Amino acid sequence: MTMLTDFGYILLFIIAAIVFVAVILFLAKLIRPNRPNEEKLTTYESGEEPDGNANVRFNIRFYVVALIFILFDVEIIFLFPWATVFGNKRLIAETDGLWGWFSLVEMFVFVGVLLIGLAYAWIKGHLDWVRPEVKTTEYESKIPTSLYDKINQKYSQ
Amino acid sequence: MNAIIALSLFGISNLFLGFLNNRKILLPATLVFILIALGLNFADWNHEYYWFNNMLKTNNLSVNFVTIILLSTFLVVAISRSFGDDDEHSHPAEYYAILLFSAVGAIMMVTFENLIMLFVGLEILSVSMYVLTGSDKRSLRSNEAALKYFLMGSFATGILLFGVALVYGATSSFDIHGIAQGVAKAKEQMGGAYGPLLYSGVILIMVGLLFKISAAPFHFWTPDVYDGAPSIFTAFMSTVVKTAGVAATYRILSISFPSVYGLWGNPLVYIVCATLIIGNITAVYQQSFKRMLAYSSISHAGYLLITVLAKRPETNSSLLFYSLAYAIATITAFAVLMVVSEAQAKNGKADESFEALNGLANNNPLLAFSLTISMLSLAGIPLTAGFFGKFFVFSDAFSNPSSLFKWILVIAILMSTVGIYYYFKPIIAAYMKKGEVAKIELSPLYKFILILTTTLTILLGLAPDLVKNIF
Amino acid sequence: MLTLSLILLPIIAGLITLAIKGETAKTVALVFAFAELALGAYLYKSFVPDATSQFGLSYDWIHSAGIKFSVGVDGISLILVFLTTLMVPFIILSTFGNNYKNASNLYALILFMQAALVGVFTAKDVFLFYFFFEAALIPIYFIAAIWGGENRIKVTFKFFVYTIFGSLFMLLALVYLYLLTPGTHSADINAIYEAAKALDLSTQSYLFGAFFIAFAIKMPLFPFHTWQPDTYVEAPTAGTMLLSGIMLKMGVYGLIRFILPIVPLGVDQWGFVAIILSVIGIIYGSVIAIQQKDMKRLIAYSSFAHVGLMSAGIFSRNLEGIQGSLIQMLAHGINVVGLFFIVEIIERRAKSRELSLLGGITQTTPNLTVYFIILMLGSVALPLTNGFVGEFLLLKGVYEYNAWIGAVAGLTIILGAVYMLRMVQKSMFGITSKITEGFTDLTFNEKAVLFPLSFLVIALGIAPNIFLKLTEPAVSQLLSIIK
Repeated sequence: MTMLTDFGYILLFIIAAIVFVAVILFLAKLIRPNRPNEEKLTTYESGEEPDGNANVRFNIRFYVVALIFILFDVEIIFLFPWATVFGNKRLIAETDGLWGWFSLVEMFVFVGVLLIGLAYAWIKGHLDWVRPEVKTTEYESKIPTSLYDKINQKYSQ
Repeated sequence: MNAIIALSLFGISNLFLGFLNNRKILLPATLVFILIALGLNFADWNHEYYWFNNMLKTNNLSVNFVTIILLSTFLVVAISRSFGDDDEHSHPAEYYAILLFSAVGAIMMVTFENLIMLFVGLEILSVSMYVLTGSDKRSLRSNEAALKYFLMGSFATGILLFGVALVYGATSSFDIHGIAQGVAKAKEQMGGAYGPLLYSGVILIMVGLLFKISAAPFHFWTPDVYDGAPSIFTAFMSTVVKTAGVAATYRILSISFPSVYGLWGNPLVYIVCATLIIGNITAVYQQSFKRMLAYSSISHAGYLLITVLAKRPETNSSLLFYSLAYAIATITAFAVLMVVSEAQAKNGKADESFEALNGLANNNPLLAFSLTISMLSLAGIPLTAGFFGKFFVFSDAFSNPSSLFKWILVIAILMSTVGIYYYFKPIIAAYMKKGEVAKIELSPLYKFILILTTTLTILLGLAPDLVKNIF
Repeated sequence: MLTLSLILLPIIAGLITLAIKGETAKTVALVFAFAELALGAYLYKSFVPDATSQFGLSYDWIHSAGIKFSVGVDGISLILVFLTTLMVPFIILSTFGNNYKNASNLYALILFMQAALVGVFTAKDVFLFYFFFEAALIPIYFIAAIWGGENRIKVTFKFFVYTIFGSLFMLLALVYLYLLTPGTHSADINAIYEAAKALDLSTQSYLFGAFFIAFAIKMPLFPFHTWQPDTYVEAPTAGTMLLSGIMLKMGVYGLIRFILPIVPLGVDQWGFVAIILSVIGIIYGSVIAIQQKDMKRLIAYSSFAHVGLMSAGIFSRNLEGIQGSLIQMLAHGINVVGLFFIVEIIERRAKSRELSLLGGITQTTPNLTVYFIILMLGSVALPLTNGFVGEFLLLKGVYEYNAWIGAVAGLTIILGAVYMLRMVQKSMFGITSKITEGFTDLTFNEKAVLFPLSFLVIALGIAPNIFLKLTEPAVSQLLSIIK
């Protein structure tokens, strides 16, 4: 039955993945030296604490950037299969080389649409990472600056 | 089908039109765009075409549905007087563009030939609606509505996708005609029974779609979302999204699964009855006109599903007529609601309760009259299009030989009577209650749309053959 | 064409009236109503007294479903169309003493109502009938709910929901019968008669129930009458006249046109129950009318009692019963419009309808007294008045059906005399009260309404045959369909 084979592949993949992970972990266990300390046992060696309150506020700009990133990430996914068809020798031969031009133009249209999106985001100003402006205070203290200098000089000796 | 491509391009150009300083050009430009798309849509009339490697298919039924969708979009855009012209934080160009994009999604939902396209269309439509629901950024209710809609909606889409996968497992096809063959073959192998894979697949697809047309018991998001979203988008949601959802449900059930009627028909009977009862009874208790319209949209989903369930040769045209009548009347109601609630605003908040309509007829006869006709049409009273909508649905159900339909009809009739109860509240408020609504100045376009929809409702109520012959 | 113009003229007239603001609206409406009456009279004159349907005309309405816009007039329709065209001018004229807000809308609604009523009585396609049946409800609802009394909103709303609820069941029955017709289906009334012949008893019983609820609410019959007294009282008098004078006859007409020929077996089975309900209505309505203090409410209950007798006559299913109900519909229309107008006249001057507050009006108003007594006598069915012919035939019909029921129904004459005489005596005679002092006699406009009505009361009483001979062939044919 076709039904079984189609899903059978997936099952095979799952089993293979489990076996692979198990084997690698087991190998690593055999090879590596085992001298644990507290710092080594944390999840991220970078020092990032994995636990804590999840309701942390992120800057909203991260989301915009993430969205734009996804746009181009997906574009790359489409480019890979396109590349295999683009270079298909049989198709090129059958169409006297027209195939290459056709698929190239098609891909440019696709990328062009995405570029329009990028242009839109750019004009809208979503790409500008606005840094918080540092405000210098205009308050003028009655104590003259020279006084501080004197104190500094006095104690720096 | 070029309408899809055209609308997408128009949406993009709308985005760039937004960079011009002249915002006044947006509304007429969008209207022209929709009209062009409508014209392109008519080019497919009387042809059966496959598009994009058998991904979409157009025939007269789909052209009619697309016409209703684009007409509703046109009317909604026309009554969107301004998305806050004076407000520097509002983005009218984006809203118009998203409306056009969501129309693309809706069109895909009525023309899909492949379940992938159903999914993509549904997502385009849904994601647009999530954004538009939350577009009133500074209103807490709007934010809540958007989040609720997003969480529930994405869950429903996930369920739909799961159903699609299971049906693929059972029939090894994504093509709706291919699925029909696969179902027949599977049935043959099983000796007339159907396996658990197909069974759960069909049910899950149905759940995903019924969520979108807010049939009970998948309706819980509807009142909050409809209430919280800005009225103009609620109008869009309750017409375009509903039409597309019902059309998609009908398309997949009638093309892919007619041979397993028992499988989806039996649960649908309960769903129809529950939708009719819950939608109508709960609407009675509403104090807010807008919320009442939300429940009314649930109940109309029930009536529409009756004819899907009846599965008659006339179902096509009944479904189209009902959707058209419902869409026109609902948009009229929202048009009146929007201007009146703004005129009656208290502390800067639009008043959407029934009391806001008190005494409307004294200074605004046109608004009151349009409101009356739209309410009569929704209630299904003769002289209006809604009556013939209900009439066609009921006669479809009656002509089904199963005696079950007699009982569904009794429920439908009882619930229509309940419907009269709440649809008359606005009429009573407008004509008979004491109150004062100052004269509301309407733009010529707005007036034109009100007169157009009201005339259409009466005209279709007197001579349904005008469109019934086309459908 | 004549039938179509009878339907279209009031619609056009209504639209014209709607466009006219101010005082002229009522005059325009009146002129059109008289033009319609002239058409009605012409229809009456050119009608050939046989059983056929005349002045017929048919257009495709919903082509794909075989539903047609088809109208025609037979004897039964004729008498009701005539009643409608006859009453509306007087109803309009009766409002001349009042100053209504947005009067042009009121007159337009009255004219629209007239169009729908003529449509109901002439429709030959069942769905066209249903269409007009419901369409008639919308104008009267707005008339009653906008220009009515204090409790109008609640009361008229109850009326609207109640009647729509009933007629939805009729719609179901009609759709069911329509789907029984052969081929691509037809909604012609004769095709429906034909299709219904094959039905068995249990189906007919269900259909009887569906039709009966619709018409019993409309008339109304006991126990579906609870909307009626309140609505009659709260509606403006013009609305009450339309309701009781004409609209109530839609229900009676439905009994004759639909229930009797479509579900004869159902009537065999359930007709007795219907007659019992009707007779209960007669007695119950009369007894309550006797105790009423409010004149309008009293007439409302008397109307309820009268309609019970009509329905009993129809369900007895003999020539006398049906003929009696037809002539009684005409007579009751005339009498009840006249009586409601007199209540309106009294209310305009004395600002009250309470019987206990009135009295002694006769001393200053000889004209009013004469008209009141003539109309009252018509209503209590004194020989030589129009009421007598109808009630006599009806009672004879019911008596033939069942002597006991006939005897009980006969009480209506005695009870009717009691409440009517009590009303006249308490309001008109006796000592002048504070509010009836200086009561002025009729104005010209008021006389213009009451004189023709009183004339008709007597004329119909002396020569009922002019109408009876028109309806007899149609009724005989109907009875032959049933047998």
